[in-house]
Amino acid sequence: MDIKRVPAIEVRHLTVSYGAHPALLDVSVTIEQDQLVGVIGPNGSGKSTFIKAILGFEKPDVGEILIGGEDVQKAKGRVAYVPQRGAVDWDFPITVREVALMGRYQRIPWYRSPSPADREAAMEALAMVRMTDFAGRQIGQLSGGQQQRVFLARALAQGSDILLLDEPFAGVDAATERAILDVLERAKAAGKTLVVVHHDLTTAAEYFDNLILLKQRLYAYGPPSLVLHEELLSQVYEGRLRVFADLMAKESKR
Amino acid sequence: MSFLAQAFWAPLTETYFQKALIGGCAVALVSGVVGCLVVLRRMAFLGDALSHAMIAGVAGGYLAMKLLFGIEAHAPSMLLGSLLAAVITVALIGLVSRVSRIKEDTAIGIMYTGVFALGVVVVSIFRQYIHIDLMHFIMGDILGVADSDLWASVLVSATVLSILVLFFRHFQLASFDPIMAASTGLPVLLLDYALTTCVSLVVVSAVSMVGVILVVGLLITPAATAYLLSDRLDRMMWLSALFGVTSVIGGLYLCVWLDSAGGGAVMLFCTLQFLVVLVLAPRYGLLARWLRMRRLVPQQVIEDVLITVLRRQGDTPLPVLHEFVQAAHPGLIPKALRQMEQEGMISVSPEGYRLTEAGGKEARQVLRAHRLWESYLASIGTPQEAVHPTAHRLEHIRGEGTVEYLDQKLGKPELDPHGKKIPPRQNNNHGFPPRNDRNRNHEP
Repeated sequence: MDIKRVPAIEVRHLTVSYGAHPALLDVSVTIEQDQLVGVIGPNGSGKSTFIKAILGFEKPDVGEILIGGEDVQKAKGRVAYVPQRGAVDWDFPITVREVALMGRYQRIPWYRSPSPADREAAMEALAMVRMTDFAGRQIGQLSGGQQQRVFLARALAQGSDILLLDEPFAGVDAATERAILDVLERAKAAGKTLVVVHHDLTTAAEYFDNLILLKQRLYAYGPPSLVLHEELLSQVYEGRLRVFADLMAKESKR
Repeated sequence: MSFLAQAFWAPLTETYFQKALIGGCAVALVSGVVGCLVVLRRMAFLGDALSHAMIAGVAGGYLAMKLLFGIEAHAPSMLLGSLLAAVITVALIGLVSRVSRIKEDTAIGIMYTGVFALGVVVVSIFRQYIHIDLMHFIMGDILGVADSDLWASVLVSATVLSILVLFFRHFQLASFDPIMAASTGLPVLLLDYALTTCVSLVVVSAVSMVGVILVVGLLITPAATAYLLSDRLDRMMWLSALFGVTSVIGGLYLCVWLDSAGGGAVMLFCTLQFLVVLVLAPRYGLLARWLRMRRLVPQQVIEDVLITVLRRQGDTPLPVLHEFVQAAHPGLIPKALRQMEQEGMISVSPEGYRLTEAGGKEARQVLRAHRLWESYLASIGTPQEAVHPTAHRLEHIRGEGTVEYLDQKLGKPELDPHGKKIPPRQNNNHGFPPRNDRNRNHEP
């Protein structure tokens, strides 16, 4: 093809602030299609804000965000989202099946009820994350990993080409982490672009094609071998670097 | 006619009772449904604020009609006035909490008391023009419902119910996950305003019946009652509407029989209903919770049983277990044994209890923890006679990689201080998952 592919997400000079505190300063990133991209950075570095801005939920003070070449405010529903676990009210009276069905809401006109096809699509999405057996459960009765998978199913049911995940690996055991990663990789193989907020530097290199290193500003964006660089990390993580000594020894051997 | 039939039938023949029943049910039905969203979005305080803010609107509406047209107590304009007051209050709350560092609950408190105070001052200044009984406003009068109020409440009920039914999915999504709702293009802010307007409408129409103070109860108590019983929003709304209606019916009879205040009786019945459900609800009730706690056997007792049976290396009779297992009270041990048998960790024979394969695996892990703890205690210089009893208590601390950490720290010892072999590490992938995880699945 000689037509250059439109990047999935294009962020230009993004600046977001809460009151007087800047959460993001002049961040510019272009994410190509079919990528599994990790967003890393210390606590409070604006990772969640970055995700919310791409969703069109946080309005930027300065800068613009294009989703598939279209302004984010006009591209509603083209980006699916898996929230951070702490952001969900787990006592909400809602079942696993209904959460998955929510992924279909954007396609249902307001005057119509969800059709059998919608319900089927929701169940298919649940099957993709192996949660069909729990369809009738209230979401608070699941384990952490199961909860994560339900929201993943909802995002898949939306059918969007771009998936944003806020800390999907937080608080799940190693086996579940593997299972979630497996779903992500399958989604990528199916032509989706995934942006994942991640907190564990030791696995970042293994999981992602590209990494975005944030701390208010964009510190680096590129393949893990370039981003997980001693100087850069010590700059961003300051005193907390000793934890990663192992990792960097490994990286330098490669 | 029998006494019972008389007690139930006689009030129904009275017009005032019929009106109270119709008006009350209409209001309770809709406030139950709206109340579900109020409860789930933690807006209860806002509902309270709206009801208080109304008085300024009522006074304003009364005064405007009286001074401009000379009409006394024009109900529709008072209704409109109170709605306006409610909307203005909400706008002020939003403004204050957005532009200043003052948090929303404080902003609500400031604004509604301010607007309420304004209403009280206006009513008292113009007392020769305005004939509003403040007591009536505060306590309500369900038994003296005017026809205009009846119409207003039925109209409000129909309108708000239609909106909520039509846009059920939108309200559900915007309440559950506003970020996703916004990302799919739902007008979240508009939905917020729509919901607040609905709440204001309901509050305004309910105040004439149960009064300012009790209206928030009618809004949230049936919804909270339903919340204890259902795990789906639509079902919660049905139940909540039902509880609202039953509390109006029950409360009205109560008020006729006891000759008490109408609004008070309705809310009292509603609260009693809630308390009964709070105790008896099958999953989220106090009784169910207590039963669950009772059935729960401390992990420490189970592990003590495992390790005791393992040390006997064969059938262990009950008296031996009673001797070695530490339990808060002796009844726990048989309970633990029953549970372990159900989970396939031990089997019973006439001679006593024996470990199954899975139970044996688990037991060796406890023993491993015990012996590693012993090694650790010995290494930090714990007196020899204290090593075993202390390790016996510490062996139950083995979550989150504690034992492996000890193992690493001690340089992976083969033998414990008494020269006994430390069992090797086993993966939990087959056999039993760690108990903490298993319990989490059952506990909501």
